Amino acid sequence: MDGETRVPICRDSDIILARQQGRALAAQLGFSSIDQTLIATAISEVARNILLYARQGEIILRPVSQSEKKGITVIARDEGPGIPDLTLALQNGYSTSNSLGLGLPGAKRLMDEFAIVSEVGKGTTVTMTKWTQ
Amino acid sequence: MGEPRHSSTTLALMQELALTEEEIARRKAFLEFHDEDVQRLQELGGLAQQYADEVIEDFYRHLLAFDESRRFFTDPAVLARVKAAQRDYFLRLTRGVYDGAYVEDRLRIGVAHERINLPVALYVGAYGFYLRAVLRRVQEAYQHRPAEVLPLFVSLLKVVFLDMGLAIETYLAQRERTIRLQQEAIRELSTPVLPLRERLLLLPLIGAIDAQRAQQLTAQLLHSIRAYRAKVVVMDITGVPAVDSAVANHFIQTVQAARLMGATVIVSGLSPEVAHTLVRIGVDLGMVHTVGTLQDGIEAAERLLGYTVQKLEPPMLVPHPEEGQ
Repeated sequence: MDGETRVPICRDSDIILARQQGRALAAQLGFSSIDQTLIATAISEVARNILLYARQGEIILRPVSQSEKKGITVIARDEGPGIPDLTLALQNGYSTSNSLGLGLPGAKRLMDEFAIVSEVGKGTTVTMTKWTQ
Repeated sequence: MGEPRHSSTTLALMQELALTEEEIARRKAFLEFHDEDVQRLQELGGLAQQYADEVIEDFYRHLLAFDESRRFFTDPAVLARVKAAQRDYFLRLTRGVYDGAYVEDRLRIGVAHERINLPVALYVGAYGFYLRAVLRRVQEAYQHRPAEVLPLFVSLLKVVFLDMGLAIETYLAQRERTIRLQQEAIRELSTPVLPLRERLLLLPLIGAIDAQRAQQLTAQLLHSIRAYRAKVVVMDITGVPAVDSAVANHFIQTVQAARLMGATVIVSGLSPEVAHTLVRIGVDLGMVHTVGTLQDGIEAAERLLGYTVQKLEPPMLVPHPEEGQ
């Protein structure tokens, strides 16, 4: 339960694997069934973005704690093209790939903390955390 | 153990494993396989020619002494052919050329091994036997220059490890290909479109939905709508473990496509977790007719089609034969 899990993302089935691992870790940490689904879905959204825009990258799942609180941190990292306009990318319905455009804003709403760092030509890292209630 | 065959498979494998000239160079660098190793291996080449036949005889004597390896050589004609190919394989180790063609040759052997299901442990064990057989002969030949034996042998080890890396990756790549094929097969099995009543279809979805499967099931549904002249479709997603924005998008598109064909789609089986998640992400399913359970879905569909289901009083239970009388 202490260590972090790394899931390389380079094909569709890796998204499912990352989601399953995330759900399992969330269950271990004592998240409710609804929260487990929220976390798994957020992982799904960021993992799909990796595949869609960077083609490959990784998802890191890490148990965290802060005084009494326990939580899960999900890091999605790629060395893809990067996002030129983060404000736009976090806007509902904005998409460059004909999707619903809810991937990043959706993941942000599903988690408690959300940070994104992106540099054009270098890659993108999304770090997001959810705490048990 | 090796038989040359199917260069197209090998080429595909070279691409799959990204074995470019640079990658081969990287692998050699990691093995610290340098020009002096190539020179030593070339020096060993003459001796290898001399001991080739003896080593091959020892090698197959060893393989035939164990049940688990003997079973691969039941046909004497195959054995003779394999022996000759194996002799070439070993001789190529000391020929001094380790380029793309060499790597391709090694992959071909790996593919052949995978095809006959040769266990990795046997492959590695047989290679170990070969190395011991060679070491003995090198020691004999260099008994007056014993200090040269170890460097020669280490150079041989480097190229052998290059080989083993390639062979084991070939195994893994072939297994992964098998798994992919099986996944595709499962995918085809897993989206039945069931005619439930006249003009009513049931599409029960089980398992994870990815882009490929979503496309496939949309196509299958549209064909079925035409074939059955369906007016209403109940798409049940009770068995779909996760619905993210991409899957929701697929559902919306399926519903829109069906509508263009004149059929209404009712989505049933949204779990509380999935409903909660979709609302939080912000997916607008307003234009999709959703209901809680499959039963609700079928009832809604029947209403749309003008069916009424009536309960008979008293119920007409058909007795089991043994319980009858």
